[in-house]
Amino acid sequence: MSTIVEAIDLRKTYMLGKIPVEALRGINLKVDSGDFISILGPSGSGKSTLLNLIGALDKPTSGTLRVGGVNVGRLNDNRLSEVRLKIGFVFQFFNLIPRLTAKANVELAMSISNMSVAERSRRAAGLLNVVGLKDRMHHKPAELSGGQQQRVAIARALANKPKFLLLDEPTGNVDSKTALEVMSLIHKLNKENGVSIIMVTHDQKLAREARRTVHMVDGEIESDMVN
Amino acid sequence: MNVIDVLRYAFSAIKLRKLRAALTTLGVIIGIMAIVALLAISQGLQTTISDQLNQGLSANSLIVIPSIDDSDNEGGGFGVSFGGVDSSGFRLYVNQTSEVESLSPNITSALAIIQRSGRIVSESENLNRSITIYGVDYATYSQTYSSFEAEYGTVPFNPRNDTIVVGSRVSDPRSNGTQFVFPGDDVALLWLNATVLPPVYENYTARVSGVLGTVGGFSIGVGPSDTGVYIPLSTAQSFFDTDSCDMMIVTLTNSDNATITEVSDLIKDYYGGQVAVISPEAIQSVLTSVFSTIQLFLVGIAAISLLVAGISIMNIMIVSLIERTREIGILKALGMKSRTVLMIFLAESVIIGLMGAIMGILGGWGLANVTAMVLASGILGGGGNFTITPMLSPTVVFGALIFGVGVSVIFALYPAWRASKLKPVDALRHE
Ligand SMILES: Nc1ncnc2c1ncn2[C@@H]1O[C@H](COP(=O)(O)OP(=O)(O)OP(=O)(O)O)[C@@H](O)[C@H]1O
Ligand SMILES: [Mg+2]
Repeated sequence: MSTIVEAIDLRKTYMLGKIPVEALRGINLKVDSGDFISILGPSGSGKSTLLNLIGALDKPTSGTLRVGGVNVGRLNDNRLSEVRLKIGFVFQFFNLIPRLTAKANVELAMSISNMSVAERSRRAAGLLNVVGLKDRMHHKPAELSGGQQQRVAIARALANKPKFLLLDEPTGNVDSKTALEVMSLIHKLNKENGVSIIMVTHDQKLAREARRTVHMVDGEIESDMVN
Repeated sequence: MNVIDVLRYAFSAIKLRKLRAALTTLGVIIGIMAIVALLAISQGLQTTISDQLNQGLSANSLIVIPSIDDSDNEGGGFGVSFGGVDSSGFRLYVNQTSEVESLSPNITSALAIIQRSGRIVSESENLNRSITIYGVDYATYSQTYSSFEAEYGTVPFNPRNDTIVVGSRVSDPRSNGTQFVFPGDDVALLWLNATVLPPVYENYTARVSGVLGTVGGFSIGVGPSDTGVYIPLSTAQSFFDTDSCDMMIVTLTNSDNATITEVSDLIKDYYGGQVAVISPEAIQSVLTSVFSTIQLFLVGIAAISLLVAGISIMNIMIVSLIERTREIGILKALGMKSRTVLMIFLAESVIIGLMGAIMGILGGWGLANVTAMVLASGILGGGGNFTITPMLSPTVVFGALIFGVGVSVIFALYPAWRASKLKPVDALRHE
């Protein structure tokens, strides 16, 4: 199995005025393709920070981070965008574009990668079907429930056929029933489509559904075990 | 992301804030409208004036007037020294025409014009109007200006002393077909002789021989005028008690530049540099340069309003950038390049600039036509005889488009650049 994410002594320090905040303090992590990892940890332990780095949304302060074989710490702005195109990112707060319909939101991600108009439409409809929103395609985010919005966000994350999916508390803002639906969708993507998954969560029970659980405390990995 | 997607996305962003976009566009509309209207009117006006001047000038004739100073003063001093006397007491004399004619074989004729303001009075016809009296040689004058031709009666080449020919608006002042004087009528001509003290009204009874057809244009005292009364040169000399004339019209065999220059120099030499010799081209070129200056000035003022529009575009863009920070974060997180974000914001400004420019051009054209109609209707005075046909040259249309789009793009550059430089993590944190 090939390695898709490799972090070596990864550090991220934010400056709050003149006070340094060490969000990540030497992370070592290896993720094989096809893996399903959940990251657990108390609030402020650096989970989102780590996910943002892996998602090429931010650059590490020091250490090495390879995503799909490339050292993202060395990439310029332009190259970072190209890396992001190949990663599916699902945010805690959905982050859909309010003025666009569910389908248009998914298509927008495809237009960024220059997919043809016909293929965009076909593929977006297919993805929304997969996440169970066939009859909600032409609704705007404000007309959808939290769980439905989260599923649109997952469909969008899959728009450009990513090798892996990063999810930051995908069930944090939905009820437990919807949470289970979202989880089973994630499982399905992992098992049937071979999409690698890294998922941040607060929920012990959901975390245990992953193949592997990484525990973070104070910007460090406290434990890393196969469930 | 391809161009069409960028434009479509930019358009969807504009549509979301219709009122704001409309108000921003309005700034561009007003600026472009002002520029287009001012240019359309002034170019129309220039054409009108130049056409009307051409009616009063013939291309192969030169105007000789006493110069207002001793230096060469071609064109610039035109019309200032009417009255035949300049400050130094220099005069043109009627009997010099034959000598001027013999200066060059290129000269066909030299024509003396004596000009005074006066009145035409007819008790029976209830007519009492102020007019300009011109003393000219009928035969030479009609050779020089084809418009010196009678519509009613005749222009006799060997007039009697008391013969007069009147312009169309002397007989028909309201241009409505009501004629006050007819060939054969006797009228009184008056002028205020201020060379004696106290000034006295001199008058004589004249017989109308012809009424000219409508010439149009406005008189600059050279060619036939609708408000002129033409009396024989010899009569003018005795009536006004003078041997001097106000100007000479020298007609040439051709209108080549070389001929014009050669004859001009000969005439100036003959008069020892105390005359100005004006060619129709010189007048037109003065007119063109005056109008260029006026237009530059008007466009400059109007451009200030466009500058204001540009600043408001920048202001709106910065507000919109702050509001849409999170959206920009999402776009970048999805893999959009900074360059594409920049293009989206610039596309918004191009759309606004283009819509503003198109509406501004249409609005400006409309405004120019309304203004022309108002001027023509005489609501603002001027007798309603002042017709301007507004002109919209392709250069103006093209320039207005470039200018409108250019201003909005230039002022959007900074906000667009700032948007493109946002870091995805920071932008996503923005509430
Ligand atoms: N942009 C930033 N500027 C300054 N400090 C930051 C920034 N982002 C995160 N931090 C700090 O880094 C630490 C880790 O934050 P992070 O968001 O990764 O925590 P988290 O584990 O995701 O917490 P939660 O479970 O509440 O989402 C926190 O102490 C936080 O205050
Ligand atoms: Mg977090």
